[in-house]
Amino acid sequence: MKSPEKLSRFEEQISPHLRSAYNLARWLTRSHEDAEDVVQEAFLRAFSAFEGYRGDDAKAQRAKAWLLTIVRNTSMTWLKRNRNAGATVEWEETSEERREPSADPEELLLISCDREQVRQALEQLPVEFREAIILREMEGLSYKEISAALSVPLGTVMSRLSRGRDWLKRLLSSARPVQSEGGTGIR
Amino acid sequence: MKCDDSRIYLPAYLDDELDVGESLRIQKHLAECGDCRRAQDEQLALRSALRDPALYAHPSADFSKGIAAALRGAAKEEARAQRSSWFESLRFGFRWVPAVAALAAVTIVGSLLLVNRMRSSHEQLIAGAVLAGHVRSLQANHLVDVPSSDRHTVKPWFQGRLDFSPPVPDLSELGLALIGGRLDYVDGRPVAALVYQRRMHNINVFLWPNPGAADDAIQQEDAQGYQILHWNGAEMTYWVVSDLNSAELLEFARALRGH
Repeated sequence: MKSPEKLSRFEEQISPHLRSAYNLARWLTRSHEDAEDVVQEAFLRAFSAFEGYRGDDAKAQRAKAWLLTIVRNTSMTWLKRNRNAGATVEWEETSEERREPSADPEELLLISCDREQVRQALEQLPVEFREAIILREMEGLSYKEISAALSVPLGTVMSRLSRGRDWLKRLLSSARPVQSEGGTGIR
Repeated sequence: MKCDDSRIYLPAYLDDELDVGESLRIQKHLAECGDCRRAQDEQLALRSALRDPALYAHPSADFSKGIAAALRGAAKEEARAQRSSWFESLRFGFRWVPAVAALAAVTIVGSLLLVNRMRSSHEQLIAGAVLAGHVRSLQANHLVDVPSSDRHTVKPWFQGRLDFSPPVPDLSELGLALIGGRLDYVDGRPVAALVYQRRMHNINVFLWPNPGAADDAIQQEDAQGYQILHWNGAEMTYWVVSDLNSAELLEFARALRGH
């Protein structure tokens, strides 16, 4: 492929997903500057690797999933390399992790929809759950696409989504009444 | 369907990932079971909270422009690699176009990501010194002696302070702002330090004369989270240190060298 042709195809198929790329990087790195660095690096990598990408113009979603895979991998490399390594917060799973669905209707529907609380909860979420949730809820990727992007089996995608949502529900429903129960490890 | 099953399938149902048969079964169960309906409402409440458009992070217009410019730069670089003579003969002589393109891509990835080892131990010492100089300049709040974005102010300032006159190119077209200049001390001699900035990342350029040294390729090293670049060109020795990512720093070094 000649370079000018490659560039125009790239700009047509991949560049429109810059917004998604930035959103994902922003949520993974939790920093504006870092997200810009990661996206820039990811775009240059994507451009180099574009020869190997066989997308057709009709499938915008596929191009997006392809780009987001690169952004995700670049973010992870970046997180490992930089001081933010602590972003992979090891959250100790407490024994009450797998809580039985409660029959008590009072306990349900306590979810806070306060935007700042949701933002904080999402930022606190361990990164392996956070990435699955962002790809699903904000970017609308299918389980299969997420599985490819994270290089994990479909079953793992489902369990990470489900556990991630449980974490969030717990954080959001206990945020007001109980702040922290004897240091469950929230940093 | 029992509640236990329903809770397991509920997320996939709401994510539209169940087949028709399973969806119908869970719908039937939801119609009959109040607890599971509440669980569904809870999931939906969480979903709408997460899909709040205000939580979506948008890139700035400037950043989008910067990405477009970086891509054009990368394309130009590839075109140059494709044009070079022996590539050209291969391309016309054989049906090797895809292989050549792949090779060009590999070359570019290589030049962006490959970390060349600095050669001699003397160079290692200098690398350590310039890295220390960079960190010191940031810590001691002594980034520049002559703060100016005007190269016609920065260049003359070195007169009388150094026994050479460092080139001070204007790279503002590439989004690289000149911040100023400073005297530093490296390899047992006073040297010129130029400071450029891109998106809050400071770039220190240390340079001094190196008469008789042959021009060579840009070498790159990763040290303690910083990138260090080094080359000899136009009878000068250049050392560049920054926390900017390697691809952009390489682009900066090429631009500096081209001037």
